[in-house]
Amino acid sequence: MKTILVVDDDDAIRLLIEMELAEEGYRVLTASNAKEALDMVESEDLDLVILDIRMPGMDGLEALPRMLGLKEGLKVILNTAYSQYQESFMSWAADAYVIKSADLSELKNKVKELLS
Amino acid sequence: MTLPRQKLKELTTIIMAGGRGERLFPLTRDKAKPAIIFGGTYRIIDFTLSNCLNSGIRNIYVLSQYGSFSLDIHLRLTWDILRPDLGEFIYSVPPQQITVNRWYRGTADSIYQNLNLLEYERPRQVLILSGDHVYKMDYLAMLDFHLEKGADLTVGAVPAPRAEASAFGILHVDADSKVIDFLEKPAEPPGMPGNPEFSLVSMGVYIFQAKTLVQEVIADSKNPDSQHDFGRNIIPRMVGKKKVYAYPFQDQETGEPSYWRDIGQLDAYFTAHQDLLGPGASFNLFDEEWPLRGYVVPTPPAMFRGRHIQVSDSLIAEGCIIEEAGVKSSVLSPGVQVGAGADVEEAILWDKVSLGAGAKIRRAVIEDGVVVPPGFTIGYDPEADAQLFTITEGGIVVVPNNVRLEVA
Repeated sequence: MKTILVVDDDDAIRLLIEMELAEEGYRVLTASNAKEALDMVESEDLDLVILDIRMPGMDGLEALPRMLGLKEGLKVILNTAYSQYQESFMSWAADAYVIKSADLSELKNKVKELLS
Repeated sequence: MTLPRQKLKELTTIIMAGGRGERLFPLTRDKAKPAIIFGGTYRIIDFTLSNCLNSGIRNIYVLSQYGSFSLDIHLRLTWDILRPDLGEFIYSVPPQQITVNRWYRGTADSIYQNLNLLEYERPRQVLILSGDHVYKMDYLAMLDFHLEKGADLTVGAVPAPRAEASAFGILHVDADSKVIDFLEKPAEPPGMPGNPEFSLVSMGVYIFQAKTLVQEVIADSKNPDSQHDFGRNIIPRMVGKKKVYAYPFQDQETGEPSYWRDIGQLDAYFTAHQDLLGPGASFNLFDEEWPLRGYVVPTPPAMFRGRHIQVSDSLIAEGCIIEEAGVKSSVLSPGVQVGAGADVEEAILWDKVSLGAGAKIRRAVIEDGVVVPPGFTIGYDPEADAQLFTITEGGIVVVPNNVRLEVA
């Protein structure tokens, strides 16, 4: 079973994504900030991270290269309400960039695509 | 047409100066390769930095790593000449470990780890240079070529006779200078269109479209089979997929190859010094059109003390004192003393080397501060030299300053 980590400071979004992906048959872990997420990248055997960008403390774009440095081959989807971060060079290190929406079908399709 | 000033505004320059320089050991045991003394009063990186200034480039990041202190000090003493408040700078950047917790895995990784610099500058083009080459190059002319071709990447390339080109990375180009193949040390290097006896050697001088560069170093950072090197990994992978062009580094009118040397190992270091000397010098340090900035030591002029002094085909820096001795085909850094009756031939003497009376030196590199006792010889007895010093394949004796010389 593939393991996915959902990183978001918004409890409701975390819960929503967790439930929908669990329904698809994935093992889903959650973290509410980037530091916690980095610890989990080290301690858990993850296949994919869904990473929010705007979070208090370390943001998603700072956490992204660190995650990639900790685990070779880790897939990351940036999941944010904002489109402007697509311009940021560091965001290009992610495997996908998905704008947040109540409808999770785009996110779920990306997950499926990256884990197939 | 874009004005030069505008074009330069959209360019960020990065000099990669972090390598260990193992093939220059022992000279690099406590120094970065680009910080090694060259040509009496220069450090190797001075040629690249002078090229930048002469090309009008005034925003330069120098990425250091190994032996960074030596380089940092040199940049501060010699190159603290620009005004950051006017947007001009030469910044020394050691590994910051902001993005990842590791040293640079290679040249491409050094750019990946510094993506924040590019994010800050948001250039259109990035000029990537090495700090260990001796040459005079107008990077603005290369930038014009890059823009004219609409290239994703332009690689600076010097024509070399095919017989000598096998030791290098070779660019196989079509008639439009588009790179169709990149070959690392090929047995049979392909000739240039219209000049079949010459091949194009990659100089490690690159102009990238900034976005292409970012995509390439990110992709490379995720490739577990990569050595994360521009020459070995990034360039070969781009050829055939992206618009890669070779900019021929040659006289625009005669097609004569321009002077370029990679100071990668000790024999190359020695030979490049000989290129500075004599009536047939192939590299001119005295070119007023292309000033080369070296380090300046507050010291008196060179003094020749006596009447019977024979100095020929040599560079003698300020502060040297030469007594009645012979100096031939040699390069003396500031403050070198040559005692009476000494004989120096094809030698490179760094700062404040002191040769006692009657000492004989031939085909040697001597590090700063070494005191050679009266009557001592270096370069005449290979067995005795080999016990104390490094001797290169080409037979050059390298005398580091951590050994004490004594007359037996």
